Amino acid sequence: MGALSELQARPAPAAGEDLVPVLPALRTLIPALRPGMVVCVEGPASLGLALLAGAAQDGGWCAAVGIPELGVLAARGMGADPARLLLVDEPGPRWADVVAALTEAVRLILVCLPERPSPTLARRLVATARKNGCVLAVRGDWEGAQLRLRADTAGWDGLGDGHGHLSGRRVRVVTAGRGAAGQGRAAWMWLPGPDGRVTSAEEPPRRLEVVA
Amino acid sequence: MSRVLVVWCPDWPLTAVGIEAAVPGAVLERQRIAACTAAARAAGVRRGQRQRDAQRHCPELVLTDRDPDAEGRLFETVAAAVAALTPRVEVLRPGVCAIPARGPARFYGGEEALRMLVQDAVVEAGHDCGVGVADGLFTAELAARAHSTCGVIVPVAGSAEFLAPFPLAVLDRPELADLLLRLGIRSLGEFAALPAPDVLARFGAEGVLAHRLSHGREPRPVAPRAAPHDLSAQQVFDEPAARSDQVVFAAKALADRLHDGLAQEGLTCVRLAVEVEFQDGTISERLWRHDGLLSSLAVAERVRWQLSGRQPAPGAQSAVWGGVSALVLTPDQVVPDTGSQQALWGPGSRGDRGALPEQVARAADRIQAILGHRSVTRPVIVGGRGPGEQVLRVPVGDLPLTERGDGPWPGRLPEPAPAVVPALPVPAAVLDGSGDPVMVSARCAVTAAPAYLDLPRGPRLAVTSWTGPWPCTERWWDPGQARRRARFQLTTPDGAYLVAIEAGRWSVEAVYD
Repeated sequence: MGALSELQARPAPAAGEDLVPVLPALRTLIPALRPGMVVCVEGPASLGLALLAGAAQDGGWCAAVGIPELGVLAARGMGADPARLLLVDEPGPRWADVVAALTEAVRLILVCLPERPSPTLARRLVATARKNGCVLAVRGDWEGAQLRLRADTAGWDGLGDGHGHLSGRRVRVVTAGRGAAGQGRAAWMWLPGPDGRVTSAEEPPRRLEVVA
Repeated sequence: MSRVLVVWCPDWPLTAVGIEAAVPGAVLERQRIAACTAAARAAGVRRGQRQRDAQRHCPELVLTDRDPDAEGRLFETVAAAVAALTPRVEVLRPGVCAIPARGPARFYGGEEALRMLVQDAVVEAGHDCGVGVADGLFTAELAARAHSTCGVIVPVAGSAEFLAPFPLAVLDRPELADLLLRLGIRSLGEFAALPAPDVLARFGAEGVLAHRLSHGREPRPVAPRAAPHDLSAQQVFDEPAARSDQVVFAAKALADRLHDGLAQEGLTCVRLAVEVEFQDGTISERLWRHDGLLSSLAVAERVRWQLSGRQPAPGAQSAVWGGVSALVLTPDQVVPDTGSQQALWGPGSRGDRGALPEQVARAADRIQAILGHRSVTRPVIVGGRGPGEQVLRVPVGDLPLTERGDGPWPGRLPEPAPAVVPALPVPAAVLDGSGDPVMVSARCAVTAAPAYLDLPRGPRLAVTSWTGPWPCTERWWDPGQARRRARFQLTTPDGAYLVAIEAGRWSVEAVYD
């Protein structure tokens, strides 16, 4: 019953518009991504991979531009299918042309900006992306991004002093941005959890510190 | 009878997939050996063998699937090397190309001089080859293969004598060869000695064709026919077109004309050559796959991509370098138009290659036009222990690897996988509490607990918790490739790292970011 009311409470995506899905754990923050949207991702690299994995649900293609160190296994653990991933590791100064070409083919492009794009170039890329139903997730500075995602980490679990192995990390993801999308909402989640997936988490218990 | 020079690169399907002649290797087509290296042949591997039989003859055989695209692409380098000497190069199939020998031989001072020149040019391009000169293609190809990849010159009208000792298998007609063998005819010379009318009566048209070949004649008498119309379409810009949209607009009209011309002849082309001549005299030529599927708009789009590949700077978005003075569209490999039918279950039911959706293939084409073939890759998960070893990046358009079963990998890293995996491990230092490097003994004992992590850039980080060592001994049976490593996971106040020590040196293999 609780699950049902939760389903009803979730805003339904507008009909006719091809929204880009996000992972279930992120839906409390962002219901879905609109085509032509620019999402600035700050903080851990896993956050960008989580967006990639979200857009790759139900058969979508994704691309990563300028990120040669992308952890493909981590993206797969979050639910992205490597067979539907395109990687352009070294776009060089022609990165904007590469991104423009990819908007036609994929739902979400994760791009590491080598420089801050000029306003004209930024507008042109956003228009191309909107026309082709694609979302840009950028690492770096983008003036006028609709949504900014930031993650504060509470450290990794599972490691002791010479034993154990890294099992998961709890982060607090905070949104900020213009319009309805960004109202400074925050949520705790496992990024990644013990099985590599992203799931929502409870707030970690405060550790008591001995002060006297 | 025209003199022909043939360049033959031995075992080309293997060269194309990067297997050296000294390594016993073979490529497979439908689970049968399609070609093998000299080393494999020496071990008893033959064309047409089943995979199992080949492996029984030569257990260390390296096997891969055949990659016709790579063969064609790599052979362009050989064709280009030959074309630098004489322009009229005909690629018979990847691995074999031919040029008419009469003119160039006169220019370069004799057939032997031309033969050496061509051979040197191809060897300089990095490929072993045999070069032969003879009357007609069939004899010339055999001449190129003669004398173990060196090639010979067969004198004018000497074909029949040269061909006589060859076995019937070179005719590439297994049924006929089998039949003749049972009739007691073992070589081309013996076959050629049969009277032609009797060959026709007994073996039919196919037999006559083979009979002509065995004499060193062309398979059929030369039947001169009217030269086909020039099907290419071109536009010269009196005033050089300075903006790319002008050129693209003209390209659309040109493509319409080209398609009309082809349709009138009932033809279509496999590839389309687009030649753009710039005002400063440079020419950009590129072949695009057509297969009769491209509309005029799609052709115009490819012209735009080709132009965008030439842009000197990102600032000048619409300016073409120095202006375009001419645009030529030429159909390449004209074939009869048999129409095309989409597969019943839509595109994508044609197996692995068709699995790439139309838009993705187009976007990849476009990026490859700008940045080169290897710039766009698809990750393939393969076996391995470390996070970097399990991912292989295959350029879009290359054959995807066959999925292999995921074998047991003892010592594989536990989940979750790291989010940042540098292509090359970053050198680092792991120190103990007193500032000395931490070492791992041969029995996998740690000299001291790690206390600090030094990265090439940034401050010294304190280690808050750690685990390891996880020993990893790989390929100990092969001294050239053996590796012994011990991996650790470390956390610092701001992150978690996967570090490894190998031969006393520490490096960061991945970051759990």
